[in-house]
Amino acid sequence: MKIIVAIKQVPERDAQVRIDSSAKWIDESGLQWALNESDAYALEEALQQKEKNGGEVIVLTAGPERVGPTIREALAKGADRAIHIDCNDLASRDALGVARLLAAAAKQESPDLILTGLQSEDLGLGQTGVIVAELLGLPHATLILQVEKTETGIKVKRELEEGWFQSVELSTPAVLTIQSGGNKLRYATLMGIKKAKTKDVRRVTAAELAVDSTPVVVLERIALPQKQKTTQMLPGTPKEAAAALVEKLKFEARVL
Amino acid sequence: MSGIFVVLQERDGRVSRASWEAIAAGQLLGSQLNQPVTAVVLGAATEALATEAAAKAIAQVVRVDHPLLAQYTADGFITALAQLIQSQSPAAMVLPHTYQVRDYAPALAARLGQVLISDVVAIGDGPTFTRQLLQGRLTGAYRPTGSGPCFISVQAGAFRADAVQAGAAEVTTFTPTIDTAQIRTQPGEPFRGAAQTVDLGSAQLIVAVGRGIKDADNLPLVQELATALGAEIAASRPICDNGWLPMERQVGSSGQTVSPKLYLAVGISGAIQHLVGMKGSQCIVAINKDPDAPIFEVADYGIAGDLFEVIPALTEAVKAAKQ
Amino acid sequence: MNPLALTLAEPQHFSVLEKLLLALLTLTSAALFWRRFGVVLDKILKSRKDAGFSLRPLGRRLWDFVWEVMLQAKVIRQRPFAGLAHAFVFWGFCAFALVTLNHFAAGFGLGFLSPDGLFGHFYFTFAAIFALACALGILGLFIRRFLIRPKWLGTKLSYESGFIALLIFVLMATYLAAFFVPDGSTAVLILWWVHTLAILTFLPIIPHTKHLHLLLSPATVFLSRGGFSKIPALDGDEDFGLVAGTDLTRLVTLQAYSCVECGRCTEHCPAANTGKLLNPKEVILNLRGYLNNLGPASDKPLIESLAAPEVPFQCTTCGACEFQCPVGIEHLPILIGLRRGAVNTGAWEDDYGSKLFLALERGSNPLGMPATDRDKFIEKAALPLFDGSQEYCLWLGCMGAYDPQGRQIVTDLARILNYLGISYGVLRKEKCTGDAARRLGNDLLFQQLAEANLEALAQSKVKKMLSICPHCVRTIQEDWKEYGTPPEIEHHTEFLARFADKLPKEKSEEETVYHDPCYLGRYRHVYDAPRTLIRASGQLVEAPRSHERSFCCGAGGGLTFLGEETGERVSHVRTAELVATGATTIATACPFCNSMFRDALADKGEAAPQLLDIAQLTARNLPDTIA
Repeated sequence: MKIIVAIKQVPERDAQVRIDSSAKWIDESGLQWALNESDAYALEEALQQKEKNGGEVIVLTAGPERVGPTIREALAKGADRAIHIDCNDLASRDALGVARLLAAAAKQESPDLILTGLQSEDLGLGQTGVIVAELLGLPHATLILQVEKTETGIKVKRELEEGWFQSVELSTPAVLTIQSGGNKLRYATLMGIKKAKTKDVRRVTAAELAVDSTPVVVLERIALPQKQKTTQMLPGTPKEAAAALVEKLKFEARVL
Repeated sequence: MSGIFVVLQERDGRVSRASWEAIAAGQLLGSQLNQPVTAVVLGAATEALATEAAAKAIAQVVRVDHPLLAQYTADGFITALAQLIQSQSPAAMVLPHTYQVRDYAPALAARLGQVLISDVVAIGDGPTFTRQLLQGRLTGAYRPTGSGPCFISVQAGAFRADAVQAGAAEVTTFTPTIDTAQIRTQPGEPFRGAAQTVDLGSAQLIVAVGRGIKDADNLPLVQELATALGAEIAASRPICDNGWLPMERQVGSSGQTVSPKLYLAVGISGAIQHLVGMKGSQCIVAINKDPDAPIFEVADYGIAGDLFEVIPALTEAVKAAKQ
Repeated sequence: MNPLALTLAEPQHFSVLEKLLLALLTLTSAALFWRRFGVVLDKILKSRKDAGFSLRPLGRRLWDFVWEVMLQAKVIRQRPFAGLAHAFVFWGFCAFALVTLNHFAAGFGLGFLSPDGLFGHFYFTFAAIFALACALGILGLFIRRFLIRPKWLGTKLSYESGFIALLIFVLMATYLAAFFVPDGSTAVLILWWVHTLAILTFLPIIPHTKHLHLLLSPATVFLSRGGFSKIPALDGDEDFGLVAGTDLTRLVTLQAYSCVECGRCTEHCPAANTGKLLNPKEVILNLRGYLNNLGPASDKPLIESLAAPEVPFQCTTCGACEFQCPVGIEHLPILIGLRRGAVNTGAWEDDYGSKLFLALERGSNPLGMPATDRDKFIEKAALPLFDGSQEYCLWLGCMGAYDPQGRQIVTDLARILNYLGISYGVLRKEKCTGDAARRLGNDLLFQQLAEANLEALAQSKVKKMLSICPHCVRTIQEDWKEYGTPPEIEHHTEFLARFADKLPKEKSEEETVYHDPCYLGRYRHVYDAPRTLIRASGQLVEAPRSHERSFCCGAGGGLTFLGEETGERVSHVRTAELVATGATTIATACPFCNSMFRDALADKGEAAPQLLDIAQLTARNLPDTIA
């Protein structure tokens, strides 16, 4: 199977968050970058499919020059080649705009499967894969934990709420968004990095793909949330504290 | 364009709580834009749902009925809703941010040249829609700038379901045109994960017990709380070492790593080997008699008290809240 | 009768037939010897060269040779009785060199030492004393191996060892007996021939048995890498560690063939002592078996010659094995080399290991904790940030930054530094030193961490560092050298001991047992500094296994991140030993040891001794006014 894995480079989890002067995004200077977590699971799934059924795994990413190391990491983990959509203005495009870039590049490859992570750690929209499917006119399924090849296409295990799961069958070509935790991730190895040096990274500019980039949704302003995480100690008798806790869990934390 | 269309989702034959919250959000948006709120129900036999929705203070309920909508598929719902939108031209589409909505709404929006603003926690003037970025470390205000309906999905619990008043709404039916060939996925019946093995890694609610429990005989106290919450039981290493709970319930560096919505640490001090296993939890509650216990540093909520008194009180409070 | 008046008797005359027979036997023996020894030498020479090997500095090599080979220091020190017995056998052999040469020369009528001459008489008497000692020595060793039967020599009786012992005894006995028979007699002729046959039988046996060490181990000791746990840099783009035979270098092959199977390595191994599959002696012998059967050009995986693929991963890198080895085998580079072979190629699939590597790939610490937690701790403890103006950079490490106990050690150390008026600061951001990555053989990750850290420290203008963790100290000081020049770094006990007289003392009867951390003791030879500090506030009690014999806590080698162990827990064994001393306090100097003992003491409840780091013990004596 020819599998394209769309990956995104995101600020590292530990990154200290400072709002930049425009108040539209964070100050990126001094940030460390990493491969988006659910994209790592998507890559892992693709690599396991290749190990089981043969084929090719291509990583696709859009971003500025700094995405280079993330591409190399994906190649080091076993992807065969990469396509880098060189784009310096990702932030000014909405989810549809970004999906258009990815879909245009993916279309040229005629893949059997396109995998994306479920959502990114920075914007967390969780939509890119679904939009790509729509743009390419392909069937899709989301929150996927396992993929199995069948005679007619693929059978996937989808996560539902509250500990339920569902199997879905669909034909290929198709698009899947992969949930974290379905597989065990492999670590980058020295051998992998050495092999990656000779793998092909094709660069294409956003301009060359000639897609419509006018946004229909704009991120106007970002802010630090009012409430910083501090421990709320609940005082009173056990009964009072318990009641207060349930109240908080229901309406403030919204986990009950 | 007119009307705020709120798509309701069904759960066990009734309208889900998240859907009522979406209605509440829709009403807020409606009052800002001076637009009436219409509820939309999809399925093959939507009469009961529609009746339920019609008993609320909204303008209209639209039943989108078609045999091919009996079971949820992205293709079915997108086709049906796209036709509805084209026919009714709403100003906005409001949906609850559920797994199902995440599966189809982005594609539906894209089909109409729009972008879904997902997981909204607040609606401001403009309208602007606030959502969380960088895993909650930032909030961002989004504004739709295109022509055409705006699409939003609202985070569970961000709007109050009980804010929706009772009322009487008109019920209409819309029959979409869907061909079997258009449905490209075959979903199976939902099933549970393997019942035998304990899968703490995917548990959403966990009650974990530590040395503060003192004796294996005291475990039923905590079990009751877990049952009331619908949570899995877990433990720190010494409890499992003593054999009071099986090893597979151990959370920590030499046990499982968990990331539930709620992690309730009972009688656990908070040594690093345990913390590394549960630090990814969305909401951490700690109950410990030592107010200086390190666990309180990572907890969102804490009760410094005797767990033998707090836990029973908590169990009662949870049971009461669930009614 | 005056023993010194005795002279060595010799046969007076050898017939031509006898000379021919002697020549034939000698040539046969030599040929049989070479038939096997040549093969071994060939395997060593056919192994790949050790990259970056240099005979210099010669001084260290010569000193090791004199100390370990000639003076038999390691042999005696760690097992005194058996060691001394062996030393006598060895010295006997050395003393006998000229005797044996003369013996054969005489057989061809070319004897050069005369028992009547001044030098000859002196020398033969001198050799006789050694022969006596040697005979007694070999007798003692025989009794030990066959009658006492210590566990470390294995359960199978080695008939080969018995036979060799017999031969050596015969050699000495025949030599000594020659003092008591008349010159030129039939008796002395018989003795002469028995002695000769004993030598000629011994010679070919040497390369077929562990007695190969007679020839190899002096070279092994001389050519060793030196230092302790010296992990060689990878050699070129195709080197991933010890994957197959082709990766075995000359030094490793030489070491594999030098093993005398004494079992000292296994005797002190924490894994072997707690029911794990890892047995350091077996690992070396497995490599030897691989070399014998497959050779250094084979591409069959080395790890398959071990008892199980998890064997190298049960090692805590405590170094007790390498430290003990009397023939110069360096176990740690071999075990870590085997790990490298599995990890650098991705062959190692372990849930916890992958989790550890992924946490280090994407984050700043091996615990997977968010860096904001560290920031909060620094703020709460009001630790000053390092800005280049302070004398010391206090390195927190992962335990110091995230573990509640580690944090207490840091804050107590900070109090002491404030008391002493030493200026220090902590870095705004720290990245893991890469200790676990290094010990587990993940060279990609280690390189990334070392390089990133070296750059960050240079930018922050760090000159001197202090750390509470011996693992950080070792990795920063030694392992980072592969990628740059690290700043100076000291462990806090070394540092504080220098100020011992400025620190307040509290005389107390409290018995405190000290546990020597592997990475401070064996790795860094720091034994006295922590003890000086303990004596300032209590009575020092020693554990049965202390100093360089200290028994590992079980956390090292990345094992603390690798989940549950099989068999008994190393930490529990050591804790029991420490508790059994009856001390009311256990003193540690490593936050990982502290963490392991804390867990193990958990089931002792109220009766447990208190567990404190040296910094905490010292800070207790400070006046309360010091923050």
